[in-house]
Amino acid sequence: MEKKLFINLGRCIACRACEVACEKEHGISFITVYEFRDIAVPLNCRHCEKAPCIEVCPTKAIYRDEDGAVVIDESKCIGCYMCSAVCPYAIPIVDPIKELAVKCDLCAERRKEGRDPLCAAVCPTDAIIYADLNELMEEKRRRKAERIVEAQRKAVETLAYFG
Amino acid sequence: MEEFKIGLCPYCGMGCRFYIKTLNGQPIGIEPYPGGVNEGKLCPKGVAAVDFLRHKDRLKKPLKRTENGFVEISWEQAIKEIAEKLLEIREKYGPDTLGFFSSARCSNEENYLLQKIARLLGTNNVDHCARLCHASTVVGLAQTVGAAAQSGSYTDIPKAKVLLIWGYNPSETHPVLMRYILRARDNGAKIIVVDPRKTRTVWFADMHLQLKPGTDIVLANAMMHVIIEERLYDREFIMNRTKGFEKLIAAVQKYTPEYAEEITGVPAKLIREAAITFATAGRGIVMWAMGLTQHVTGAANVKALADLALICGYVGREGTGLFPMRGQNNVQGACDMAALPNVFPGYQKVTDDEKRKHVAEIWGVEDLPSKPGLTIPEMIDAAAKGELKALYIMGENPVMSDPNTKHVIEALKNLELLVVQDIFLTETAELAHYVLPAAAYAEKEGSFTASERRVQWNFKAIEPPGEAKPDWEILTMLGKALGLPKFDYSDVEDITREITLVAPQYRGITPERLKREVMGVQWPCPSEDHPGTPRLHVERFATPDGKANIIPVEFKPPAEEPDEEYPFILTTFRIVGQYHTLTMSNRSESLKKRWSSPYAQISPEDAKKLGIQDGEMIRIVTRRGSYTCRAVVTEDVSEGVIAVPWHWGANILTNDVLDPEAKIPELKVAACRVEKIGGC
Ligand code: SF4
Ligand code: SF4
Ligand code: SF4
Repeated sequence: MEKKLFINLGRCIACRACEVACEKEHGISFITVYEFRDIAVPLNCRHCEKAPCIEVCPTKAIYRDEDGAVVIDESKCIGCYMCSAVCPYAIPIVDPIKELAVKCDLCAERRKEGRDPLCAAVCPTDAIIYADLNELMEEKRRRKAERIVEAQRKAVETLAYFG
Repeated sequence: MEEFKIGLCPYCGMGCRFYIKTLNGQPIGIEPYPGGVNEGKLCPKGVAAVDFLRHKDRLKKPLKRTENGFVEISWEQAIKEIAEKLLEIREKYGPDTLGFFSSARCSNEENYLLQKIARLLGTNNVDHCARLCHASTVVGLAQTVGAAAQSGSYTDIPKAKVLLIWGYNPSETHPVLMRYILRARDNGAKIIVVDPRKTRTVWFADMHLQLKPGTDIVLANAMMHVIIEERLYDREFIMNRTKGFEKLIAAVQKYTPEYAEEITGVPAKLIREAAITFATAGRGIVMWAMGLTQHVTGAANVKALADLALICGYVGREGTGLFPMRGQNNVQGACDMAALPNVFPGYQKVTDDEKRKHVAEIWGVEDLPSKPGLTIPEMIDAAAKGELKALYIMGENPVMSDPNTKHVIEALKNLELLVVQDIFLTETAELAHYVLPAAAYAEKEGSFTASERRVQWNFKAIEPPGEAKPDWEILTMLGKALGLPKFDYSDVEDITREITLVAPQYRGITPERLKREVMGVQWPCPSEDHPGTPRLHVERFATPDGKANIIPVEFKPPAEEPDEEYPFILTTFRIVGQYHTLTMSNRSESLKKRWSSPYAQISPEDAKKLGIQDGEMIRIVTRRGSYTCRAVVTEDVSEGVIAVPWHWGANILTNDVLDPEAKIPELKVAACRVEKIGGC
C-alpha cells in the first residue's frame, strides 16, 4: 500500500513548523494552520482518492503520480481555477508569480530522492505523518488494546485489595 | 557543490540536531537529521535556523565609537585598545570595577574563557542571563538536591504516569519536547498544568490550575497539605533519603485547599484532585520554567516544587525527576562553566580555599579572587551608581532582555568602557565603545550543553562573514593582549581539554569523543570510558551527606500588587516563532511574517469594562514605562490579568525588584493600567 499524509488534529500544537518547512521547500506555504480556542487545524491538500479537482480540470493538468499524490502539471494548467472551485478544502491557490493554480505536491522533489514530505518530516508531535495508513491504524489499535488491558488489571487489583 | 553538515540548533535548550544544507559553502537550508534527541523533528525556529546567517545586518568588522558614530577598525587595533583600557581601569579603580556578561548563546569553551579572563584580571564579576531565567533553579536545587540541573532525561518523560507542568508552556517554548510529553499521554499519563494563562499546553492537559500570577507557593503548599493529610506521601523514600519532613508537615498545615483557593483563585476541589492524582500516580515528573522562576520568591518557588517531588519519592527513578527546562541552547553549559559570580567551573565555590587553589594551579597563578562577584542586576546598578567602570558583554542584549529598560540604558551610558561582542548590532551594541563581530553557531566549533545535561559538539558548516571571528578566538586574542598566563590556545579543542581538567563533571568529555559520538554525553562523566549519566540522584543526592533537604517555604506576595492607579496584573510570556530579543528570529522572513508584531492578551470582561475591541491599539503603563500594542481579547487569561509576549521590548514595563536569594528579577508580575488608544 502507498503512503498517505495523515493529519491527527489531537496532536497539533499550532507551532507552524510545517508552514515554515513548506515555505522553505516551495517558496510559498501550501499548508496553513488555523488556530481555535483549544485545537488547531493544519490544512493542506488531502490528495483525495476520488479527487474532484482531477475530474473537473478541462486540460487534464491534474493527475495522480506513482506515489498517489495529486499533482498539477504546470505546463498544462490554463489558470481557470475550476479545481479551486470544486475542492472541498479550497486548496488550489494562485501562484503569485506564474499566475497558475498551485498546491501541495507532497514534496515531489524530495520523494524522488527517497525523502518524506518536509512538513511531515519536521512536525514535532507527529500531528502530520507520512505513512501507510493501515499500518498506522493497526499500531494505534494495538496501543488502545494495551490501555484496556492496563485498566482491566488495575480494576482487578483494586477489587482484590478491597475484596 | 551541495553538502550536508551536521548542525546543532542555536535557539532553545532542547538540543536538536539537523543537517545544514550548503551550496558552494553557502547555507541554503535545513534538512532533518534523524539521530538526535529530536529524532529529526524541529520547531519553526529550527526549520528557519540558517535564515539569519547571511543577513545583510551581520557585523563584519570591529567598530569603534567616535564623535561621528561608529568607524571600522582593524582587529589588532581593537584588541590592543580594549586590553589597554581594561588594564588602565583596573589600575585606576581596582579589579572589581570591571564586569563581564557571558552568554548562554555561546559555547562551553567561550563561556569558560570569558570567566577565566575575568578571574585572572582579579574579579568574580561575571554572570550571564541564567540570572534572568533559572537563577532561582540553581539556588533552589542546590539547597534541596545538591545539583542545579535536570535530574532525568527526556526519555524518562514517556515512562511517567503523571506530569506536573508548572509555569511552563512547552508547546511554544520547546515544541519538540511535546513529542515526549504526548507520548507519555499516549501511555496513559495524566497531565496537570499550572499556568495563569490557558496555553496551548493546556489543550493537552487533564487538569488546568489557573492560578493568579505569583501565588505558586500557596498552591504547592496546599497540594502538599493534601498529600500529607491523606497520607499519600512515600514514607520509605522520605525516611531513607531525605531530611526535614517534620518541618514541612508543620509549615504546610495552614495551607488548606480552601485557604489556597482564596489566594490563588484555583478551586479547592481542583487542588485536592490534582494533589491526589499527582501523589498516587507512582511515577511523576515535575517540569518548570520562567513562569515559576521569575519571581521575587523564585528560589522558594523552586524549593516548593522540589519538596513536592521529594515527598512523593519522584526523584532518581525511571519516569521521575525534577525538570527545569532550559530556554537557551547553552544556558546549562554557561552555568557549568561558571559564568556565575560565586563559583568556578563545575560549581566549585570561589570561597572554598582548596578548590580555588586547585583551579589557580591549572591556570598558572598563585591564587584567584575569593570574594563572590556581582550578579547582572547588581552590575547594572553598580554601573548606574558609577561604581562599575567597564563592562564586557559577549552575546547578550541586556537593553532588551533585562527588566526596567530605561534604567539599563542609563547605567550602560554611564560606563567608561563598554565592549560588546555579538553577531548583530543589537540595541546594547549601539551603546558600546567597541563592537566586535562574532561568528554565529554554524561558523565555528565547540561544545554546547542541552537541558538534560547533554554535551554535544557543534560542527562548523560555513565560514563567518567578513572578518567576524568565533568568540573563543576573540577571547584568546584578548587574553594574550592582557598578558594573562596560558592563553596560547591554537584551536578550540585545547580549551575543551582544559575544561576536562577543571570541571569534575566534564572530566571524561573530550573533544575527540564528542566528535565521534554525535548524540553527545550527559554529565557527570568522570572518565573517558564512562558512558555518561542519564539520571542523577539514583542512590544518593549531591548533597554533602547524600540526603535531600526538604525545605519548607512560606508565601510572600509579589512586590507589586494591583492598586487603584495600576489595577491589573501584568505578566509576560514567550511565543513559538520568535526568540528572546528578536536578534536572530526576526531576521528570518518566514518567522517575521508569521509572528510579526506585539500584542497583549486581555480578558473579555476587562476589555468590555474598558471598551476595548479585539485588534484595537492599547497602551500599557507601569511605574517604569509605557508600551503600545494590539489588544487580543481572549478567555485564555482571567479577569484582572494582562499578558504580553516580551520579545518586542515589553521589558520597559517589568519590575527589576530582585529575589533576595537568587537575585532574579520579578519579570512575571507587575502592576499595570491599560489605556485605550483606538484605531488598528
Ligand atoms: S508542525 Fe505539526 S504540530 Fe506544528 S502546526 Fe504543523 S501540524 Fe501542527
Ligand atoms: S486539491 Fe482538493 S480536491 Fe484536489 S486532491 Fe487536494 S484536497 Fe482533494
Ligand atoms: S525545539 Fe529548540 S532546539 Fe529544537 S529546533 Fe526548536 S528551538 Fe531548536
